[in-house]
Amino acid sequence: MALDISALVPELLVIGLGLLLLIIHILQRQPVPANPIGWVAFLAFTAIALFVVWRMPVAEVTWGGTWLVDPLANFFKILFLLAAALVSLASITSLAGQSRFASEYFVLLSMATAAMMCVISAGDLLTLYVGLEFLAITLVVLTALDRGTAASEAGLKYLILNAISSAALLYGFSLLYGMSGSLVLGEIATIIAGGATQAWAGLALPVAIVLVLSGFAFKTSLVPFHMWSIDVYHGAPTPITAFFAIGSKAAGFAVLIRVFMKLFIPWAAAWVPALIVLSILTFTLGNLVAIPQTDIKRFLAYASIGSAGYIIMGMIAATRGGIEAMLFYAMIYVFATFGAFAVATAVQAQTGSTAISALAGLSKRSPFLALTMLLCTLSLAGVPGLAGFIGKFYIFWAVIDQGYAWLALLGIIVSILSVYYFLLLAKVMYVNDPPAESAIIRVMPSMRLALAVSVFATVFFGVYPGPLINLVTQVAARFIS
Amino acid sequence: MSDFTKIAFFMFFGIAFVFGSMLVVRLLSTSKYDPIKSLPYECGMDTIGPTWIQFQNNYFMYALLFLVFDVETVFLFPWAIRFSQLGLMAFIEMVLFVAMLLLALWYAWKEGVLEWS
Repeated sequence: MALDISALVPELLVIGLGLLLLIIHILQRQPVPANPIGWVAFLAFTAIALFVVWRMPVAEVTWGGTWLVDPLANFFKILFLLAAALVSLASITSLAGQSRFASEYFVLLSMATAAMMCVISAGDLLTLYVGLEFLAITLVVLTALDRGTAASEAGLKYLILNAISSAALLYGFSLLYGMSGSLVLGEIATIIAGGATQAWAGLALPVAIVLVLSGFAFKTSLVPFHMWSIDVYHGAPTPITAFFAIGSKAAGFAVLIRVFMKLFIPWAAAWVPALIVLSILTFTLGNLVAIPQTDIKRFLAYASIGSAGYIIMGMIAATRGGIEAMLFYAMIYVFATFGAFAVATAVQAQTGSTAISALAGLSKRSPFLALTMLLCTLSLAGVPGLAGFIGKFYIFWAVIDQGYAWLALLGIIVSILSVYYFLLLAKVMYVNDPPAESAIIRVMPSMRLALAVSVFATVFFGVYPGPLINLVTQVAARFIS
Repeated sequence: MSDFTKIAFFMFFGIAFVFGSMLVVRLLSTSKYDPIKSLPYECGMDTIGPTWIQFQNNYFMYALLFLVFDVETVFLFPWAIRFSQLGLMAFIEMVLFVAMLLLALWYAWKEGVLEWS
């Protein structure tokens, strides 16, 4: 059997980038500063993203269905590469002071991106699991790279809790393998769809669905599987926190879409109620617990949990419209969340603090940072005119279409409540006086570019969402049919 | 269901045997406290020096590097057995695989892991 390597080219390019950065690091006598490497990583990630865009029309299923290069996979690969490119730019600021591990940091960032690309292209359970573990290991090291107490604690917490969630996921996978005798998603789907009268359809299949769902709920940090995320988000370097929130979470949603829409759709009546409970718990708790937070990273961590509660609503609809809405929301959520975390990175780099009080009077110390934070958080809250509004509208429309108007209403009410705490943050930045000894906050050119991109995307897709809606419509149509 | 009943039967008696024998020993044995008996046991000798000393964590690094090459062998061995049937592609893949592991060793070398300090 001749292996067709061409299906793997984007992943090989990203891994090649990581290895190249490692070789550069080994050949240098002095530790390489973050500034040139971050730019190299940014340009390489952008170039690979453009390459994936260029190859997107091609639909391939390779190696007996174990490796899928469908439009869904390509869409999420573009999302991961964009996230990695933006995070590379923000990392230049956060690594500027202590560049001891700068090259290792970008090597690991490349590897984590490659891992996420493996996760979304995986066509069988084993590749999927290996991809998820590959991702988790790189993220553990990235989290603990700062070597402080908080960072080590966060890394260890993520390692142990991720192992538990992996155990649940693996148990679910082993039950699926036991029922169908296959690891390939397409084959399992055929066998379990035709097996409603089999003995296992009554007990083993529901258990498998619950275990797989809880494993993925951990990756996407849905309440009550969110416990790890707050401390890990708090302890990790701030750009890596953004990467967790936009990349790792999107990877979780991507596999959730693939596995649930391909395998478990005949049993939708059984798992949709479970998802409704998870969704309500997640957006309510995420949005309400964000209010009393005094640390910007914890605040944004809870806000991102709240967003996950909305994204998962697309799965509750379990229709093409629902998938479209999830893809749309996931993409605009990248820019809004990244922008907010990037502002936190810039403020932290100068003041050394992640307290919300460190943002006081930000509009006077750096109007650009304050405006970015305002637009990104208002987009997350779903204020009309910004991309987040279109995203929430799309999601709520998909669930109302399936007869869950009450759920959408609840979502809208909590969403309006969330505007309250985002406006509290705006008050701190625009009304409160800056601390007495504070200075103008300097923003590096790399950070300026990253923030400008996220603000531009947030406003652009809010005013003119047509191109992105076209894209997600095509991707979802190709995936469902 | 009869197969599962057998397994349940074995599990029940297996567990009951362990705890039952512990209970019987507890009932039959005599237990007298003796300071010599409660000394830390170290291969029958008296301990020399404090027992809570710290070990060199360099051993950990060596174990980690050993593991890399240990796993490499696991993959190399079946490849070597079937080498003539597998063809050029498998050879290139294996070269890439070994090259990546060598890169890891090179990195460890550069970072001074191999120096005993």
